[in-house]
Amino acid sequence: MEGPFLRSPATQDGLAARRVSSGETESDRNVKTQFRVCRFMMETGVKLGMRSVPVATACVLYHRFFERVSAHAYEPYLVAMSCVYLAGKVEEQHTRTRDIINVSHRYFNSDSAPLDCDKEFWDLRDSVVQCELLILRQLNFQVSFEHPHKYLLHYLLSVKSLVNRHAWSRTPVAETSWALLRDCYHGAMCIRHLPQHIAIATLHLALNSYGVELPVGEKEWWQVLCMDVTKAHIDAVVSDLLQLYDMEAKCI
Amino acid sequence: MDRDLLRQCLTYHGESFFNKLKCEQTENPDFQAVVSDLCKVSCESKSDGQDSPLVEQFIARKADILFCPTWKTTNHQEEEHEEPYAIMPPMELFMEVSYEERRTMLYRDLERGDIVAGRINNIRDYGFFLTLLCTAGGLKRDIEDLELSALCHIREIPSTGSHDDPLSYFQIGDFIRAAVKDIDRYQEKITVSVLQASLSPNLEHIKLGVVPREELPIHYSRSVLAAADSRKTYECILKSCHGYHNPSVVAYLLGKVGVSDTHPPSMMRGLQSKLFQEEDFASALRKKQSASWALKCVRAGVGHFKHGHHVEAMNEYNKALDIDTNNVEALVARGALYANKGSIMKAITDFELALKSCPDHRNAKKYLCQTLVERGKQLEEHEKLVTAEGLYRRALSLDDSNPEAQEALHKITDTIQKSIRLREEALAKEQEKATTSQTSAEKLRKILKEEKRMKKKRKRSTSSSSNTSSRNSSSSRRSERGSKRHRRISSVESRSEEGKSEKDRKVKEEDEVEWYPAPPNTSATFLTQKGGPDFGESDEVEVMVKDADDRRIAQLYSLSAASEDEESDSSRRQRKGRDREESRKRGRNPESEEMGSTSRDKGMEDNRKDRRNSDSKRSSLGENRKRKVSCSSAESEYSRTSTLKSEYLGNSGPASKQVERGMRHDSSKRNSFDEARRALDNRKGKAVDGSSRSDAGNGKTSEGAGNHNKPSSLTSVPEGRAQKDLPSNLLDIFNQIAQFKKEKGVGPK
Repeated sequence: MEGPFLRSPATQDGLAARRVSSGETESDRNVKTQFRVCRFMMETGVKLGMRSVPVATACVLYHRFFERVSAHAYEPYLVAMSCVYLAGKVEEQHTRTRDIINVSHRYFNSDSAPLDCDKEFWDLRDSVVQCELLILRQLNFQVSFEHPHKYLLHYLLSVKSLVNRHAWSRTPVAETSWALLRDCYHGAMCIRHLPQHIAIATLHLALNSYGVELPVGEKEWWQVLCMDVTKAHIDAVVSDLLQLYDMEAKCI
Repeated sequence: MDRDLLRQCLTYHGESFFNKLKCEQTENPDFQAVVSDLCKVSCESKSDGQDSPLVEQFIARKADILFCPTWKTTNHQEEEHEEPYAIMPPMELFMEVSYEERRTMLYRDLERGDIVAGRINNIRDYGFFLTLLCTAGGLKRDIEDLELSALCHIREIPSTGSHDDPLSYFQIGDFIRAAVKDIDRYQEKITVSVLQASLSPNLEHIKLGVVPREELPIHYSRSVLAAADSRKTYECILKSCHGYHNPSVVAYLLGKVGVSDTHPPSMMRGLQSKLFQEEDFASALRKKQSASWALKCVRAGVGHFKHGHHVEAMNEYNKALDIDTNNVEALVARGALYANKGSIMKAITDFELALKSCPDHRNAKKYLCQTLVERGKQLEEHEKLVTAEGLYRRALSLDDSNPEAQEALHKITDTIQKSIRLREEALAKEQEKATTSQTSAEKLRKILKEEKRMKKKRKRSTSSSSNTSSRNSSSSRRSERGSKRHRRISSVESRSEEGKSEKDRKVKEEDEVEWYPAPPNTSATFLTQKGGPDFGESDEVEVMVKDADDRRIAQLYSLSAASEDEESDSSRRQRKGRDREESRKRGRNPESEEMGSTSRDKGMEDNRKDRRNSDSKRSSLGENRKRKVSCSSAESEYSRTSTLKSEYLGNSGPASKQVERGMRHDSSKRNSFDEARRALDNRKGKAVDGSSRSDAGNGKTSEGAGNHNKPSSLTSVPEGRAQKDLPSNLLDIFNQIAQFKKEKGVGPK
């Protein structure tokens, strides 16, 4: 698989070597690639100044695209770039292809000079735009998704009113839960669970991490926020998320 | 690491977690610092073993990020009036938290300065009692069914000013918004206040007192609805809220909750903000890229330039500047091209812009230095010596070694100093001649009175003429003196009109564009003498009338400050002066309006010419030297004195004004004026021609001027000139009257 930017031969050999040594399966490799590509998308999103929701849209587009097509058919990083571009349009935070290409080029060739306005640049640009159309068609033009972010923020406000204000200001529950939510998008779990469930699970994990105690009534707080969520759901989401953190150690 | 937080976490999770934590965080120095404290914490797990070991493992591993002290959410407490997000009823309603629990929670969390809303259930003579319905700021709780009662003492009610009983404003059943004054947790008593001062600072803007039902908080009304209808779930209410569908609700709530989206938090090791470098960000990369693309275009342009294809070169430079505005190389190259083509001003602008972003650019400095020298030479030819000097100094400051600049600077400082010396000599001469003559003063006073009477007559007379001829005819109605003056002036004006004004205007325009302030170490030393000339027009008149000496000094440095600014200023002032005079005269003499600015301009010209003529006749000093100093100040002097004159005499006749100007010019002051005024800008060349023309055609005026100069012709004139204690305008009048009388054959006096 040739990357859109010339990857140094060393990296490729390194990849091949690891493949051989650990006896990975095809699916493992795919998962790892997906993780890496999602990591690429998230970093690019930050460097482009994109907000959390457009980055989430880009990741969802990517996962949904590769649900339908075989992993080998397309260059994943090119698809990722086009997903970022498309997500910017969908979520009304437009980014220019020139910026996406600049950031991506530097991601793969660190400390390099920006590309000249030459054939390579225009070819890349054309590829990104054509790939965008391909993604749209593959997804039947259904590109707007409901994300957990809105839910999470409202849940945060409701839960905040349950606890003492000083205890709350001491505890960075909001930041932690937001961080956990963003990290969900490294894997396909983000499309396998309902957005409300993901929101509740991340909030639950954040509260758990700090040992915050919430009052208990007839119902648990998470039962109230979303009627159909059960402890099992929460546990499932949390375990998927924790696996992603484990994968970080393996992949990067 | 946050110690308290860790302690809370340990208490919650228990021993097993503590072990895992120790295991994972052994290398973390921050953890080592706090671990000793944590050992003392009793480790009974509160979570009842609900925690999966995976979660504990996760927390242990990520403890350095989770418990990082910089991760603190900010507090935002504002009452929203619109609904930018969905304001939900308090959760405990849905959770069906028990009565006891809620009561405890409220007493634990309610604080002084929080706002509560309630209904009055009882009024006594010492205050009223509220049944609390809900919290309305600071807290969001469901307390209606707790049936809490709060007292508002009469002294907590603001007095009304009139001597009513403040309690009379309240009735049972009223809804009140009040601030919590005191909470007695043990006896479970709450006292409230309706005074604004009892509010906590972040809630100060909320009004306390009686409120209508609609103003009760939104979450309360929603909670009432939710309680009534058990089918309404949290999610259902959430989705039905208008604010939930706000497209920017995420951004708004992120701000409210205190999390940044531009440097977002992450639990992943690789995504920590500190790992991102500024130069990898899109905006930085774009800038670098634009600069390099622009540079390519500039190189192409320079290639074209070397082959002589200037048009293509300019195109390339402009393209480069489109890609990257203010690109230093492109600006320097374009500036060089402009300088080559001769558009010096554009070249200078480009170089200056380049130096602004890169003050050490060698080529820019070199080229700018050369261009400034060239521009300075141009200005020298136009007699703008001090400006030119400023340019040369600037050029030298950019590039010390430039021989041309140094030479030019020396030359110009010499000439300026020479002109100063000359002026000083002339001034000394003038002062010598100062003697007083009583008789002249008396005569002057008589003439002044006559003038005043004439002016009054002129005020009443009206005219509808609109050109010089009509002016002439109307002027003939006036005193003989006036008419003669008119005719003479107008003829002179018509002649002088031709080449002068256009060139004047053109030069003035160009002058207004470019201005370099006189350098601080200028050789034109008179500039620094008195803090600069004062050109305030409104003050001119009064100031001038009072002090003849001041005026002379003013002359001196009005001459010196030869910047184009002043020239344009003076021209503007002339116009202003004209306008003022016009408006003044409008009431008195409509004719004056028709004079128009050009005629006055011409009049100025004329007078200048006069002086020039007289100077050349009178003075033995070479004209060349006088040319050096610009006469912009001269013009300003004109306007000043002219306005002065009209003010003083209440003069409405434009012609007489001009005549007065002419007279003034011939006055004692003229000596010092003249030398300076001889030094003119390009007008000078024409002036000489004009003067010869006017010499031929206008023998009278010049002669008259010349007469003034020749001491033999008018006995009274030198005396008049010599009179220092009289205001100079009087001298002017006297001299001119004498001159014209003589010409008419009446003879002086």
